[in-house]
Amino acid sequence: MSHEGTLLFLIAVLPFVGALLPGLMIRAGRTVCAVSTAVPTLLALIMLLVLAPAVLRGEVVQANIDWLPQLGLSASFFLDGLGLLFAAMILGVGLLITLYARFYLSGDDPMGQFYTYLLLFQGAMLGIVISDNILLLLIFWELTSLSSFLLIGYWKHLPEGRQGARMALAVTGSGGLAMIAGMLILGSVVGSYNLTDILQAGDAIRASEWYLPALILILLGAFTKSAQFPFHFWLPHAMAAPTPVSAYLHSATMVKAGVFLMARMWPALAGTDAWFYIVATTGLITMVIGALIALFKDDLKALLAFSTVSHLGLLTMLLGFGTEAAAVAAVFHIINHLTFKAALFMTAGIVDHETHTRDIKRLGGLRHLMPVTFLIGTVAALSMAGIPLFNGFLSKEMMLEEASHTDWFGSPYAVPILATIGALLSVAYSFRFVSHVFLGPKREDYPNAPHDPPFGMWAAPAILAFLVIVIGVAPFLAEGIVTAAANAITGADLHPHLKIWHGVTPALWMSIVAVLGGAVLLTLHRPLDRAWISAPRPEAKPMFDGLVAALVAASRWITDISHNGAISRYLAIFTITSVLLGFAAYSGSGLAMPTRGLLGVPPVIAVGWIMLIVATVSIVVMHHYRFRALTLLGIIGLSISAGFAYLSAPDLALTQISVETVTIMLLLLALHFLPKVTPKESAIGLRIRDGIIALAAGGGVGSLAYAFMMRDIETISDYHIDNSYEGGGGTNVVNVILVDFRGYDTYGEIIVLGIAGLVIYALMHALLDGPAAKRLKNTDYSQDRSRDRHPLMMVVVTRVLMPIALVVGLYIFLRGHNQPGGGFVAGLVVAIALLMQYMASGFAWTQERKKIEYHTMIGLGVLVAGLTGIGAWLLGQPFLTSAYTYVHLPPIEEFELATAMLFDLGVFLTVLGAVMLMLYSLSRIARFAGETVNVTPMDYDPGGYVTDEEAER
Amino acid sequence: MNFVAEFLVSAALIVSGIFGFVGSYGLLKLKHTLQRLHAPTKATTLGVGGVLIASMIFFYADTGHISVHELLITLFLFLTAPITANFIAKTHLARNLRRNELPESTGDFGWSVYDDPPETRLDT
Repeated sequence: MSHEGTLLFLIAVLPFVGALLPGLMIRAGRTVCAVSTAVPTLLALIMLLVLAPAVLRGEVVQANIDWLPQLGLSASFFLDGLGLLFAAMILGVGLLITLYARFYLSGDDPMGQFYTYLLLFQGAMLGIVISDNILLLLIFWELTSLSSFLLIGYWKHLPEGRQGARMALAVTGSGGLAMIAGMLILGSVVGSYNLTDILQAGDAIRASEWYLPALILILLGAFTKSAQFPFHFWLPHAMAAPTPVSAYLHSATMVKAGVFLMARMWPALAGTDAWFYIVATTGLITMVIGALIALFKDDLKALLAFSTVSHLGLLTMLLGFGTEAAAVAAVFHIINHLTFKAALFMTAGIVDHETHTRDIKRLGGLRHLMPVTFLIGTVAALSMAGIPLFNGFLSKEMMLEEASHTDWFGSPYAVPILATIGALLSVAYSFRFVSHVFLGPKREDYPNAPHDPPFGMWAAPAILAFLVIVIGVAPFLAEGIVTAAANAITGADLHPHLKIWHGVTPALWMSIVAVLGGAVLLTLHRPLDRAWISAPRPEAKPMFDGLVAALVAASRWITDISHNGAISRYLAIFTITSVLLGFAAYSGSGLAMPTRGLLGVPPVIAVGWIMLIVATVSIVVMHHYRFRALTLLGIIGLSISAGFAYLSAPDLALTQISVETVTIMLLLLALHFLPKVTPKESAIGLRIRDGIIALAAGGGVGSLAYAFMMRDIETISDYHIDNSYEGGGGTNVVNVILVDFRGYDTYGEIIVLGIAGLVIYALMHALLDGPAAKRLKNTDYSQDRSRDRHPLMMVVVTRVLMPIALVVGLYIFLRGHNQPGGGFVAGLVVAIALLMQYMASGFAWTQERKKIEYHTMIGLGVLVAGLTGIGAWLLGQPFLTSAYTYVHLPPIEEFELATAMLFDLGVFLTVLGAVMLMLYSLSRIARFAGETVNVTPMDYDPGGYVTDEEAER
Repeated sequence: MNFVAEFLVSAALIVSGIFGFVGSYGLLKLKHTLQRLHAPTKATTLGVGGVLIASMIFFYADTGHISVHELLITLFLFLTAPITANFIAKTHLARNLRRNELPESTGDFGWSVYDDPPETRLDT
């Protein structure tokens, strides 16, 4: 990457890195916090200025780092004239806002948060304007929506702030979604996601049949962001934000992002009728409507908000014209609008800060009390009105000039007249801003006695007002950047000359009409205002709220249908879908002829099969009686185990038997606290439906298995069998698959198992705090209980069996790699051995005798398995590659040592821990339900009871 | 395999079959739980035992090795069958009978299902 590229990359990263600072530095004081925000911004700005001369000469600075090349996503940035203009605006105004906010925010506002959000937003905006990859651009685009949400909703205690933030997020966010679709279309049309490539391929894009959909989708994104009619409504509601946020978002950044995007995409999308009619018309309508509403807003910030909407409409319209001169005008107006609008917002903030009201009807005469603010506000407002010698006049003239020779559906008058009306209204509300706030007699009833703020607060708007005048008087100073940006937009080599005097042109006449008409309109404001208030107007907020409510209701309806909380519903949906998919797959391709014959059925197997069927049918009939169902479940489990053994799957049989045993034991314990009978919950119709689904699914799976077994199909099993010994070092293919071939799966599974154990534990915690706890407390379980809870015979037998069971577990574990067995089964066997102790002597007594917490055991197991896998890295092998060797120790036969055994140890520990933790969870219910703890291992120890003689002594 | 071995194996299997049948039939025929407890004991002891003896003789005659798996099975049966029976009986008592429906126990401490266990010395 070149030196310049590195700088560009740093510029993109700096705000995000800087965002970490303010939150920490706030502890050192508010000024330090503001400085720590300004530093990264200033650094980025300086770097930008270092790059600026090259860009102004027409060069393009690029930086590229591959991120996800498979997706066409790369972290690539480029800086051309347009990017430079916007980046300078974002950083420059960012600095001014940092300064202003330092004095604007009160001591109660969390300033560190504010600056962090501000820098995040700044970084996202910067990312948009210098991204060279549209996927990256989309990421930054959504980031601006998110970070502006945080900024707009900064005053969390204000409902308006929260609602405004939500509305802004909903509107701009959904526009962003549309834009993603549009950008993806664009990317697939061009075959590249790089902006530079896309901008070169304008002709191909416009010729593509996907042009119109892509255009509309991208414009949806731009229009929502730039608050174009009919999506303009979110912007005024975002005014609930602190004024620095409004000044930043609505002058230089957020809303300009949409304009930026249209300018950026100009070479690729502009130049067609569709572009002209959609973009220019939307812009024109927005300009007029925004200006009209602004005239009748009494809230200072609302007035400015709608004027922003209007000016964004103006910019959109200019870009929509699609001519090069219009692009120049647009770029120039972007700069001018930034200067006067940011200054105006800050002025409004100062007025609000000093007088504690933003209601124009309560203001007036501030000229005498706040002369500095008056001066700044007036300069900016006159520029907004388009009065000569202020910069707003220049770009407005250029706009009117372009409008004066634009045909709209064959009519040469529509655009000029509407543009003049827009300008006229703009003059009217600008004059109103000055005259109704600052002019007029001094009043006595301000909510707070106003005076000029400290220097720090008016410095930022003063700088902007100064720029307004400088550009207004000497427009050629801005020529360089305007030329660079306009060339970047149009791709042409333009040499515009920005002048104050253009001669007597139609635009001049239109301007004169606008200024005079605006002044007249202001004198008529009072009667017009009354008429406006009494006239019916559509209100955006109730409409938006209604729409959101309808969407919420629709979502809730869908959710309620598919997620009604009944597990039978989920299972039904899942099963039906699976069956239908299976059926679709079957009917799609059909079946080859069977290649195998049926085997005979030995009578013993037939008996076992019949038992299985009978037990299954019985469970369907009797499932309401839970203990009976559980018994039948045991029969089914054992029959299946026997089936596995018969079908030469001893591993599965072993696992199945031990899983069955543990399951039945745990279920029995759980059932103790549950009703013994399931009530009939579903009506007959539902049960018939469920029956049909069950038959279809069962029949489907059965016929699938039948179809597979009747045919010779090449599977991966042969590979496993061939490589098990040589590759994995074990003769038990099942175990080698578990710990080696599919070791990663097993690793995931034991983690899931561990999580399940922990979740049961956590659920039990929650359960014992909820309503179920009351029922437990109030149920008397002691009635049906024998007095000897821990009978001697049981205790003795389990003690005898324990070492045997442990040895069996160890044996199964050790031989697992070559013979049926392994960590999973061993874990279950040991768990059963321990379960028996718990059953015999009670949980608490046994618990005292164990040394390792079960939580620890789960974690240890996962850790051991993971470390074994990582161990392979040390030898330069991929994760979980196993190694093995043969060891000969004199007293015993030669045996194998494999790392797979360590992995299996992890499996063993996790299984054991998870099962025991489940038991522990159940026993906590028992303790909660009032079960007492026994101190002795059994109720009656014949050698230990107190005899009468002893008692007498 | 010689005739004697075959004869012994067959005899053991027949014995086990008869007792297995008797045990199952008894389970169906007898009315009360405590009576029913009696019948399957035939199947678990003589019934399964017959099969195990047959198996040991068969494998000794067939391979010449003494098979000890069967002894282990016997051990487990002897351990588990009484416990199972004991628990079934206790459950039956606890669920279906009240204390006063039973005669006094003639032992020192009453019925274990209904009466608290005697005090136990903690130091042993």
